Amino acid sequence: MAKDEEFDVIIIGGGPNGMTTAAYLAKSGLSVCVLEERTECGGACETVSPIAGARIYPHAMLMYASPAPGFDQLELHRYGFRMEWDPADLIEQSQGGLGCSDGWRDITPKDQEGWAKLGGMLGQPPFSKELMRATFWCPPHPADIEVSDENTPYMQVYRKYQPDIWTPELREMTMFDLLDEHCETEHFKTAMAFAAWASGAAGHWEGVAVPAALCVQLLTLPNMGRTSLPRGGLHGYFHAILRCAVHHGAQIRTQCPVDEILIDDGRAVGVRLRETAASGGLTMRAKKAVIAAVDVHQAFLDLVGPKHLDPGVIQKLKDISLKNGTLYVSTFHTKQPLRFNSKYEKGACNAKRVGPDRQPAAGIFPCDSRELYYENVADVDGRKGQPTISPEHAMWFHTPSQAFDPTDCQGSYPRGYISAAFEMNVTSPDLHKEGEDAPDLHKEATDRFMRDSFSQMLDGLDDDNVIHHWSATGREVEFRNTGLIGGTWCGSRHDEDQLWTNRPIPELARYRTPIEGLYHAHQTSGHPGGLCLMAIPYNLMHILIEDGVAEPGAWWYASPYYIPEEGKISAFMR
Amino acid sequence: MPAGAGVEPERPNMPNFKYESKFRYDPNDPFGHMQEEFPDESEFDVVIIGAGPNGLIAGAYLAKAGLSVAICERRFEVGGGLATEENLFPCYASNPHVLYHMMVDYMPALRDFDLEQPSLTWIKPNAQTGMVFEDGSSLLLARQVQDTKDSISKFSYKDANSFGRAVRDWKRMVHDIIGPATYIPPLPPIEMTMAMQRTPLGERMMEIGEESPIDIITSTFEDERVRTLMLYASCMWGLDPRESGLGFMVPLMLDRTMNKCYCYGGSHKFAGALAREFVKHGGLILDAAAVESILIEDGRAAGVRIAHEGRTLRSKVVMSTLDPHTTFLDMVGADNLPAELRQDIEGWSWDKWSFNTLHVAANEPPRYAADDPWIDKCFATVLGIESVDQLLAHWDSVVDGRLDLDSFGGHSTCESLLDPTLSDRPGKYVSMFQIHAPYDLEGGWIDRHDEVMQAMLAKWRKAAPNMGPESIVASTMEDPGEIEIRFPQMRRGSIKHGEYTPLQMGSFRPTQDCSATDTPIEGLYTCGASTFPGGLVLGGPGYIGAGRVADDLGIDRWWKPTPEMERYIKDYLEE
Repeated sequence: MAKDEEFDVIIIGGGPNGMTTAAYLAKSGLSVCVLEERTECGGACETVSPIAGARIYPHAMLMYASPAPGFDQLELHRYGFRMEWDPADLIEQSQGGLGCSDGWRDITPKDQEGWAKLGGMLGQPPFSKELMRATFWCPPHPADIEVSDENTPYMQVYRKYQPDIWTPELREMTMFDLLDEHCETEHFKTAMAFAAWASGAAGHWEGVAVPAALCVQLLTLPNMGRTSLPRGGLHGYFHAILRCAVHHGAQIRTQCPVDEILIDDGRAVGVRLRETAASGGLTMRAKKAVIAAVDVHQAFLDLVGPKHLDPGVIQKLKDISLKNGTLYVSTFHTKQPLRFNSKYEKGACNAKRVGPDRQPAAGIFPCDSRELYYENVADVDGRKGQPTISPEHAMWFHTPSQAFDPTDCQGSYPRGYISAAFEMNVTSPDLHKEGEDAPDLHKEATDRFMRDSFSQMLDGLDDDNVIHHWSATGREVEFRNTGLIGGTWCGSRHDEDQLWTNRPIPELARYRTPIEGLYHAHQTSGHPGGLCLMAIPYNLMHILIEDGVAEPGAWWYASPYYIPEEGKISAFMR
Repeated sequence: MPAGAGVEPERPNMPNFKYESKFRYDPNDPFGHMQEEFPDESEFDVVIIGAGPNGLIAGAYLAKAGLSVAICERRFEVGGGLATEENLFPCYASNPHVLYHMMVDYMPALRDFDLEQPSLTWIKPNAQTGMVFEDGSSLLLARQVQDTKDSISKFSYKDANSFGRAVRDWKRMVHDIIGPATYIPPLPPIEMTMAMQRTPLGERMMEIGEESPIDIITSTFEDERVRTLMLYASCMWGLDPRESGLGFMVPLMLDRTMNKCYCYGGSHKFAGALAREFVKHGGLILDAAAVESILIEDGRAAGVRIAHEGRTLRSKVVMSTLDPHTTFLDMVGADNLPAELRQDIEGWSWDKWSFNTLHVAANEPPRYAADDPWIDKCFATVLGIESVDQLLAHWDSVVDGRLDLDSFGGHSTCESLLDPTLSDRPGKYVSMFQIHAPYDLEGGWIDRHDEVMQAMLAKWRKAAPNMGPESIVASTMEDPGEIEIRFPQMRRGSIKHGEYTPLQMGSFRPTQDCSATDTPIEGLYTCGASTFPGGLVLGGPGYIGAGRVADDLGIDRWWKPTPEMERYIKDYLEE
């Protein structure tokens, strides 16, 4: 057996959070090793080729991270980060409508204005970047600081730049309340609330109106993500992060699953690898820190284990709610391209089409009313198991992002057509009333249900035309990607009880753990949750600076809304 | 900047290419970008086209030498044929392309870089290549010679002894000559002959070179089945069984077929390690970046233009790892070529056959109805072929664009036996069955997809009865057209970027002017599978190309030849 290896920091998990943390720490001059269980790093930022020449994005496919400080702190452009933008789409989007059961309905100027205002676009100057950073890119306040209107970062930003949005009720509202106040049409509000639900924070939850609205804003505001796609998909974005880490000396080990975090006298001192690991069943030592960038259940219940945690904490960790469902993604390989059916082929900017093939961009469907939204929510969050809603009422969305990239298969695949992804929220396997294996047993029926639903708007999903229907059940999602706990995409619910200073539980909200030298950095385990934002690593850096683990160079800047913990080194540094 | 030979230079702090940053975030511009992107205009010492094994190797050597290097890769992932992908989506990964690594023992890059050694692991099982016959008998080529002799002795004591004697000589040819020569620019035929005449071993190798594979096999072995396996192993990568002039490839292929390695975790792991070595030393990789054209200014290569995004990378040197048609006719442009070069390139011939591969995920590994339990542990198992005549007829029909579905065979591997990490789902085994196949199949691959797939499944099941629908949970078949779709440079499914014939090998690959990687176009180098020594993950073209570029740019090589290469140079090349 080889000698133990030793690093300053060992990071368990090579997904976007683990790798971004590695890049930050390696750039700070620490020796870092990332241990990834799968054959390829990237976690949910993955690109898969199920047949030669076709690319599909089974998980992350939209770029939410644009305002991230990581772009300039890590200088991702120097590592090849490029993004594909389609100006034509932007125009179509602003002129386009939303698909409803009776056809396209317009997005009105008042909808647009209200939405732009919420996102900071109408301030003098516009303050979108500031607003987004305050909301997502700032660590939760220390436990002894009471969260108030005065110190909540987004409240501070609104008060400063757009006081007419600020109200004393803003922190208590639902996103629907906010939309009712600022936007006009029911279908627009329904669509945005649905997008928020699919992004992890639902439109009807109290106390998360602003984070819910802003995570959708990250996609829709023109100079943020809009519906843009990094070259090579989110995995291309991830590559830039990985290469930054590697360039600064981080070691990356794939196929190295960890079986145990080694704890000596209450302090994390290293990890033990699984026997089948590509390095062999080695022990690796960490001088300064072990960072668990895997889901919160795996990290604490398996890798740390009950002998190092008190039962109260364990129970709370077990109770973390996954109730927001799992996105069931379908991608189609067809003989003929998909087409809008007769009801939708006209209207809404002559039916939105994007990409080299001018394939349909269906958007969110059907967005008739919030009653429909609630019907869908009840089906999924009500734990009914398989969809019981009718295919006509099932809400889904179609992400045309893939179509923007001319290097992608849509423009050049010679043996038919590859569609962009269709997504529908379904019950998480852990909460399926027939048990966690049920989604796999019902896969064929679920696939058919999906095609029936999508066929409300599109032609071409009949058996004669479909060559492949690629999908993965929540169970398969979990198998492929153990960090997508319960098959949920954002890890766990982004609700009031599980966000900001409550994420994942108040005791762990600042990325520290009861084990000295052990930190966590995963979408399930820290604010602001999922969406591949480079936010958890940035926020965690504040804490690692406080604890004296990291001393970044002059390139570092802290969030202006961050509150240092008493008696620690301030991450403002200089 | 130049570092002394053998001394590792300081790692530059940042990727060291030149560009002018024009990015400025403007909150008042609603359509402005919020984050900086890779610049539209940038400047490098070296731009490499293609992040396959050769591109990554060339890049790693040159970046470590302190040059600024960019690699442009068309796909979303580096590695080229070094691919490990979830092609049995969802949940099952396999190696859709390179599976057998034959030159791990000799490749300098594996010694010159530490490649995060603890995690880049090669597995070289003893049971290397088996062959099963309809009557349940079997043959085994093992890494350990005595095990092979034991297996051959089931059919012929004489052949077992012939094998022992021949393989001793063949191993020496590979070890002393062919292995090290793989990483040294080729000599023209006359000089090569003179070099070989320096030793008896070299002379024997030249003699064998004049024979055809079938002659070598039939004159060495008497038993039909032994001959069949030896011929299969010699020619499976596209050597013409009846052509003389490349006979020295028979010892190479047979020796290497008994010494091939599996890359634990899948072939892509090797690519990842090389890519990280490149990036660590300041190299830049642009993926999803298809090169549209090579810039030619005043008759010399001056950089590349990226398709679809209007970006230009300027450079002193452009190295292409692509096939000759793509590099010269498409990217440089026929009009920019000297007439003779153009003529040579237009006369290039593609591989004579390609591959059709069936991948499956199953509850069990294949269990063959064979008299030797080691067959089930073989890295590769040949099945469906009973005799030399049948094998030749199969290959002949493939060359003619046909597949005789009543009489064909191929080789299979259960990757999961060597590598439990390939599938996340416990209890599932990923295996593949690959046959030689024509690019232009009579009747068309799309129309005959199901028919061929059923025939392959039936063939496999006949040899391994447990490979039926009760065990197989997922399957996919990739035909030669799909090889070309995944890797357009493998035109017509040419995995080696062009046929192995005497006129396309050695100092003729791809042309006499270009076989040492430099070309008649100043600043342009070719260092892919179509350049000496060829394809199959030798890593030779990239290594030789890096040396040539370093010399031409006046940079000291930080690396030294391997001990095998040094001995070969001393014994055969030095004055």
